[in-house]
Amino acid sequence: MNVSILTRRPEIGSILSLIAVIVFYVVFGGVNLGKLAGAASWVNLAANLGIVALPVGLLMIAGEIDISIGAMIPAGSMTVAILSGHFGLPIGVGIAGALALGLLVGLVNGLIATRTTVPTLIITLGTLMAVQGIILSSAMLLAGNASVSLTPPDWAKTVFGMLIAGKYQVIICWWAGFAAVFYWVLHVSPLGNWIYAMGGDQTSARNAGIPTARLKIALFMLSSTAAAFVGICGAIQFNSAQVSGGMGYIFNTIVSVVVGGVLLTGGFGSVLGILVGTVTFAIVSQGIYFTQIERNWSNLIIGVTLLLAVGMNESFRNFAMRSVRKKPRVRKEIAAGR
Amino acid sequence: MTTKPTAGITLRHLASRPEAGSFVGMIAVYVFFALMGGANFIGAPGISSVLNMSSEVGIIALSVGLLMIAGQLDMSVGSVVPASSLTVSLLAVDFGVPDILAILGGLAVGLAIGFVNGVLVSRTRIPSLIITIGTMFGVMGLTLGLTILIHGSTGVFLVPGDAAKAVFGQLIRNMFQVSILWWAVFVAVIYGLLHVSPLGNWIFALGGDKESARNAGIPTGKLTIGLYMLSGFSAAFVGVSQVMTFNAAQVAAGQTFIFNSIMCVVIGGVLLTGGAGSVLGIVLGTLTFCIVNQGIFFSGLDPNYGSIIIGALLLIAVMTNDKFRAMALALSAGRRS
Amino acid sequence: MKLSLKALATATGLSLLSGAAMAQEIVVIAGSVEDAFMDKIKKGVDDATTMVTANGGTVQFLRTQNYENFGPDLVTLINQAVAQGAKGIAIPVWVPDAQIPALKAARDAGVVIMQYNSGLPVMKDIGAINYFGSDEYAAGVGGGKYLAEHGAKHIVCHIQVPGAINLTERCKGVTDGAKEAGATVTVLETPPNLDGDVTGTAEAFKAALIGDPSIDALVSCADFGAAAAVNAVEQTGAKLQIGAFDFSPASLDRIKAGTQTMAIDQQPYLQGFLATSMLFAHLKFGTNISTNPVLTGPAIIDAANVDAVVAGAALGAR
Repeated sequence: MNVSILTRRPEIGSILSLIAVIVFYVVFGGVNLGKLAGAASWVNLAANLGIVALPVGLLMIAGEIDISIGAMIPAGSMTVAILSGHFGLPIGVGIAGALALGLLVGLVNGLIATRTTVPTLIITLGTLMAVQGIILSSAMLLAGNASVSLTPPDWAKTVFGMLIAGKYQVIICWWAGFAAVFYWVLHVSPLGNWIYAMGGDQTSARNAGIPTARLKIALFMLSSTAAAFVGICGAIQFNSAQVSGGMGYIFNTIVSVVVGGVLLTGGFGSVLGILVGTVTFAIVSQGIYFTQIERNWSNLIIGVTLLLAVGMNESFRNFAMRSVRKKPRVRKEIAAGR
Repeated sequence: MTTKPTAGITLRHLASRPEAGSFVGMIAVYVFFALMGGANFIGAPGISSVLNMSSEVGIIALSVGLLMIAGQLDMSVGSVVPASSLTVSLLAVDFGVPDILAILGGLAVGLAIGFVNGVLVSRTRIPSLIITIGTMFGVMGLTLGLTILIHGSTGVFLVPGDAAKAVFGQLIRNMFQVSILWWAVFVAVIYGLLHVSPLGNWIFALGGDKESARNAGIPTGKLTIGLYMLSGFSAAFVGVSQVMTFNAAQVAAGQTFIFNSIMCVVIGGVLLTGGAGSVLGIVLGTLTFCIVNQGIFFSGLDPNYGSIIIGALLLIAVMTNDKFRAMALALSAGRRS
Repeated sequence: MKLSLKALATATGLSLLSGAAMAQEIVVIAGSVEDAFMDKIKKGVDDATTMVTANGGTVQFLRTQNYENFGPDLVTLINQAVAQGAKGIAIPVWVPDAQIPALKAARDAGVVIMQYNSGLPVMKDIGAINYFGSDEYAAGVGGGKYLAEHGAKHIVCHIQVPGAINLTERCKGVTDGAKEAGATVTVLETPPNLDGDVTGTAEAFKAALIGDPSIDALVSCADFGAAAAVNAVEQTGAKLQIGAFDFSPASLDRIKAGTQTMAIDQQPYLQGFLATSMLFAHLKFGTNISTNPVLTGPAIIDAANVDAVVAGAALGAR
């Protein structure tokens, strides 16, 4: 009884994967747990990744995907660096400009996604390329250099780019804030049910009076703005923006979200799961530096973790479905959720 | 009076074909870059540039396109290319295996990875995007780890024998890579597979509706595994031809093929939702993609504009996909009345 | 019982702590695990480690996974080294804006910094005790001069990742070095979706060569760029001197065969070996090298000296 309730939770698979990864590193890598827990490396990675993974996870629960975030991260840092670094405008204007660009790209993604039947993977692949090209060529055109430096004022440095205790990026606090807001959106506010319903069955969601189009556009705007935000923080922390970079986030966010128990086909997932999935990814990729395992194998471990985690999530879901079937009262709710 | 309906039918027929949009797109970018790039782009240098690049990404795009018609994705191709070229080099250089066996070894790696992908996709309900991202990371890690374990560094140099070089890596008339001919072979075989053999209908059916395909007696599991093995094989083939052309294999190569091949397929009018698309469309899409990618260097424009053009083309291609259908329907309705 | 356990824990904790202090643990930070260039640095670090361990120290070698998120990744590794109680860090400075604050913080925490490979201009900012390496700009000057002195009049400098600062520096160096010897330089940037794509890059070169027949030399910031340039020459029949920054076994073979003119080396083995051993010697024995900075490059590899380099490459040091 208890077990069935437990296995029905989307995050259970990700929690088990996290434990499995840590056990693996301790047993085979001789990792020192104290050192690992105290290290900022994986927390910083998780925070940067997590801020993007949260809205992308919500999109995936709603049955969509966004890979244009890979271009939005450098676009965000480039915009703030060009506006405030090259043109010397106040940093507030630079930040607002970068966020506005995020909103605009998200709007474009959302509009095309709602007006056509084209899968969002393809739409956002198109905007990924376009944004990448626009940022590269406008950096050359406006600043005459593909790398632009920025000297942010102290307040901006403190809010977006400070290192706490000399090693923890302040973006960790932002991640916590984002997580709280997303938790409220998905699990407390009525919007959450709408998102689940959309991912479950779009047509019936629309028939039930949910403004699916507006909701979808909003979710896309959220994800590209969040990516721009990560870019802004990077530029302010490191005093410069480079146009290269960001592509690695595409696969890393998808892996984090999916390890976190979100169903790519929509309708299933939780904020807690996404958080645990992000932490799992961060520990897998950074934790290897604390082990005696050769670093060359880290991609192999990421791949195996992903496949095992989704396999586990899948069997838990099946198990949950089976146990639910015995109790007709909840069946409907779960069916709608899928 | 007699010619008009015929013209109408042809136009309607044309517009309703999935590759119509990609054909128009290809002509448009070709004319644009021909005007910008001048005689060099129109002549042999430009043609060979486009074809050489097309032949590599095109071989992968064909089988990735087939998978997309069947409603599946394959991200692992990006890691199969270096996995195969390194297998060939390691076998030939570090183990002294004859060229032909080393090449077969490289191709076998592709087939094996495809088999694993196919089995995982057909046996579970996990989306293929996720499974192939998993195998992509796995193969990347294995390639890097094993190469360093065996060879001690991440780049391997190989001097292929004359026969192997002639078959996979020679230049014809100085400018045209022999892989263009292989691309033609792949096009012919996959055209036969999709548009002539009964397998084609199965693939369309699989992409249209998996459940009813299975109910209709189509061996969906075996078909899926077969398609993944084909895409693994194609990527491995490109890896082999790269190592034969450039005499070297590198761990970090290949990532660009993942999104580049998907873009070719989509510009070619294949829907990711499955059930629609054609080999001709994929070929046109590949050519369009490579015309933009290479034309930019003949045009003297900032190469970064290329990314913008490709992104825009992709969005236009996918949006007109719906529109072309609607137009075709409207056109036929107009003729009737 | 409880008390004795606690005492035991404290005792072990203390002994571990003192063990670490005795160990003179040093951390060497390098670039991507997928980068063959870094393997030569690793060989130098490995050889130096033998000396370090013989004297009771330990060396930890850390590398980033890739170059996607390079600045933050490097800062992460620096912070990790400090968190692990390193006494000394040997590190290149690739992303000054990102790394300087982190390295300053490390130095303030009592960590000794040894710089190698990259970032000579910011050596004072991070307070490194010495520098072993070349300088991107100096390497570029050396390469540009070499090509111009060997008869080149119009050189193309190829950048495979537009916007990467170190590559921009290299081509700036090539431009200035070539100018001194009377040649002009055109910079050619290929977009990110061709990075690592030898065929696509070869075709881009072909377009450049056909578009401007006055081009008589090409130097690429990437080793694969030399392979692509050789292919472009095969296609066009152009007479072209080909050079590249850094080199692989494949480029040595091309130099032997005469298809590639030269490679600009900075002798990464020396950088890894000297940075590691000299950092340890400083910590353990208090030694200092009076030459500061120590330049390990540019060293030009061409037909004249390629055989010796091949022998070194077979041992993993070149």
